[in-house]
Amino acid sequence: MFSGLKERLQAVRNRLGGSIGAVAEAAPPAPAEQAAPSTPATPQKSPTLADKVKILIIDRELVVSAKDIAEALDELEMTLLESDVALPVTDAIIANVRTSLVGKHRKIGESVDALVVGALKSALLNVLGKGFDLPAYIRAHERPVKILFTGVNGTGKTTTVAKIGAYLKKQGFSVVIGAGDTFRAGAIEQIGVHAERLGIKIIEHQTGADPSAVLFDTVQYAVSHKTDVVLADTAGRFHTKANLMSQLDKIRRVMKPDLIVYVDEAVAGNDAVVRAAEFDRTVGADAIVLTKVDMDSRGGAAISIAHTIGKPLLFLGTGQEYEDIIPFDPDAVVEELLGCGA
Amino acid sequence: MMDTLSSSLKDALKKLAGKAVVDRAAVDELVKNLQRALLSADVNVKLVMELSKAIRTRSLDEELPKNTNVREHVLRIVYQELVRLVYATADVKLEPQVILMAGLQGSGKTTTTAKIARYFQKKGMKVGVICADTFRPGAYDQLSTLCAKINVPCFGDPKATDARKIVKEGLAATKDLEVIIVDTQGRHALEPDLIQEIIDLNVITKANHRWLVIDAALGQQASEQAKRFHEAIGIDGVIITKMDGTAKGGGALSAVAETKSGIVFIGAGETIENLERFDANGFISRLLGMGDLQALMEKAQEAQMGGEMDMEAMMKGHFTLRDMYKQLEALNKMGPLKQIMNMLPIGNMQLPEGVYDVTSTKMVRYRILMDSMTPKELDDPGLINSSRMQRIARGAGGTPEEVRELLKYYKMMHKTLKGLKGMGSGGKFNMQRLMKRFSGMQ
Repeated sequence: MFSGLKERLQAVRNRLGGSIGAVAEAAPPAPAEQAAPSTPATPQKSPTLADKVKILIIDRELVVSAKDIAEALDELEMTLLESDVALPVTDAIIANVRTSLVGKHRKIGESVDALVVGALKSALLNVLGKGFDLPAYIRAHERPVKILFTGVNGTGKTTTVAKIGAYLKKQGFSVVIGAGDTFRAGAIEQIGVHAERLGIKIIEHQTGADPSAVLFDTVQYAVSHKTDVVLADTAGRFHTKANLMSQLDKIRRVMKPDLIVYVDEAVAGNDAVVRAAEFDRTVGADAIVLTKVDMDSRGGAAISIAHTIGKPLLFLGTGQEYEDIIPFDPDAVVEELLGCGA
Repeated sequence: MMDTLSSSLKDALKKLAGKAVVDRAAVDELVKNLQRALLSADVNVKLVMELSKAIRTRSLDEELPKNTNVREHVLRIVYQELVRLVYATADVKLEPQVILMAGLQGSGKTTTTAKIARYFQKKGMKVGVICADTFRPGAYDQLSTLCAKINVPCFGDPKATDARKIVKEGLAATKDLEVIIVDTQGRHALEPDLIQEIIDLNVITKANHRWLVIDAALGQQASEQAKRFHEAIGIDGVIITKMDGTAKGGGALSAVAETKSGIVFIGAGETIENLERFDANGFISRLLGMGDLQALMEKAQEAQMGGEMDMEAMMKGHFTLRDMYKQLEALNKMGPLKQIMNMLPIGNMQLPEGVYDVTSTKMVRYRILMDSMTPKELDDPGLINSSRMQRIARGAGGTPEEVRELLKYYKMMHKTLKGLKGMGSGGKFNMQRLMKRFSGMQ
């Protein structure tokens, strides 16, 4: 997973380490020059001065300047961009790494690597935030827990609903699915087949019906049958379509979801940021599911979206089978990206 | 976000305007802004770097042609280099052919298949569609429902599991038709079984065209995926979908560069008519925020067959309810106002959302209301007082509130177009005044 980003980040890490290391090697002559003019000025104290210089060279703390790491940061910028991290988010991460590195004091003996990795790691963790433990949330919450899935067209909402249904069922929860995509041709059939295969109850109306009504019925069903979780599928919609967004808002008012899960795909580029922000602004989002992570994704979209709306990632979708879904663990992802032992 | 980028691009261009010789610093700034704009539009990082290098060298080395100023000179180079990126437009011939659709999961293959079927049908060809997606539940239902709407035969079997078999049967069943489009299951390059499947389908169908469907939002991954698809079946055309969102489709440029093919169509909308032929110059103009006149002209021409819309008069500001009626009639063919506005060369001008917030059902209501107006009222909406409003409402089976809403919408449109008029003639267009007027409206 995210192997592309991983390799490149490691290259940058070496590079950053390298340029700071180079500073370390180049640094000792500088204090020596400083010492030279001062020697004639205080000839009587030359032994003490020699000691001072010695101390200066050996114990001197190095100060990392912006210039030292500028080139390496440029490279990091390109790396992030190539990995689909959106431009504004890239800027934010670079700024973060820069502020945490520049002006930092480092003893010569200290490992350069640790310093750089530490900065990158905290920047990334900062952006990715904490994961989200869905089973724990459901256990702690009053049933039924109503989860609404939103997102633009073709990101994999329906498949994700099926996968999460299968996952929760395995965890011992009872699940009902609401076929809220009443717009796209074949959508009800699609979710219907998934539900049948998984042995999950599904509430559906006809194509063209009001999705709010379908999902309301689903919640009613869950209440009267004491079902643990309601998974509400919806039609994909673009954030630019005001009427479709207000339809989503109506769904939200009618079914009162406990969690709004925003679904987007890992292969999306810069637009991921624009639409995530717009969905978050209009109907809200409590958690994110990132799909199609198996497409040799570089993982940038995860970083972009998480940074933009500041909400936790819930799951990663990693394939076409029902079990191809993994709960998101930011520490594990960052560890993997930067290589262990940091 | 794109808007701030294209305006900083414009600022950078402005700095070149007064110069007598090409200024290195100004070119560098322009190139940097251009890079940011293109990267935000998901154009491949390597492509962007190559492009900016070429622009920098050419701008500084090439001699300034006579009668051009520095700004024009540099802009022309930028433009030429960008156009080179999109290669040639792929040809769509109106002849018997088999088209194989390929693409990632959720890129919009099935919807696009139906749209292309509609495109050829409108051009008078006999079209058939084969559903070779035997994996995704509901895929056949989706395609057959879409095809039924436009009366195009759709061959498939929801219970089938072997795509190769169903395609063979489908080809036999559709052999009397001229254009056969084969919709396939979504797949990505790291699924060897599925890649083998599409290689086999390509052999079985002897497809004349293999078109790759690319989501406008697809990022840097586009390049790698397109490369693998190209290696497998030899892609000879790219279709960009979901251009009605905010994504700019830069990923498709990577696909074009990898496959050395052109962009065939652009999909922008959920209805079956929302498919445009690709125009390289227009696409680039839009990428840079300079408007896309040519695509608009094409659309207006097509729409005129039904509604006779006087764009000329509209742009001049003579806009009556009658014009609005025509516009609403033509709307199905022209696409929503927002799409049209995006194509006008008014750069990054932002119109207030209210202008676009009219749903298609409302449009239908408006037309019915206008049907119960007198010719005089249509020409001079100022005549409509409350008693006339009552009459119109009664005639259309609506309420006076609806009439008022219609008039409000008309006024908003009218003012918008008046604003454009000032802009078109290069006059003293006051953006702020226009915005102020609109904020008063809402």
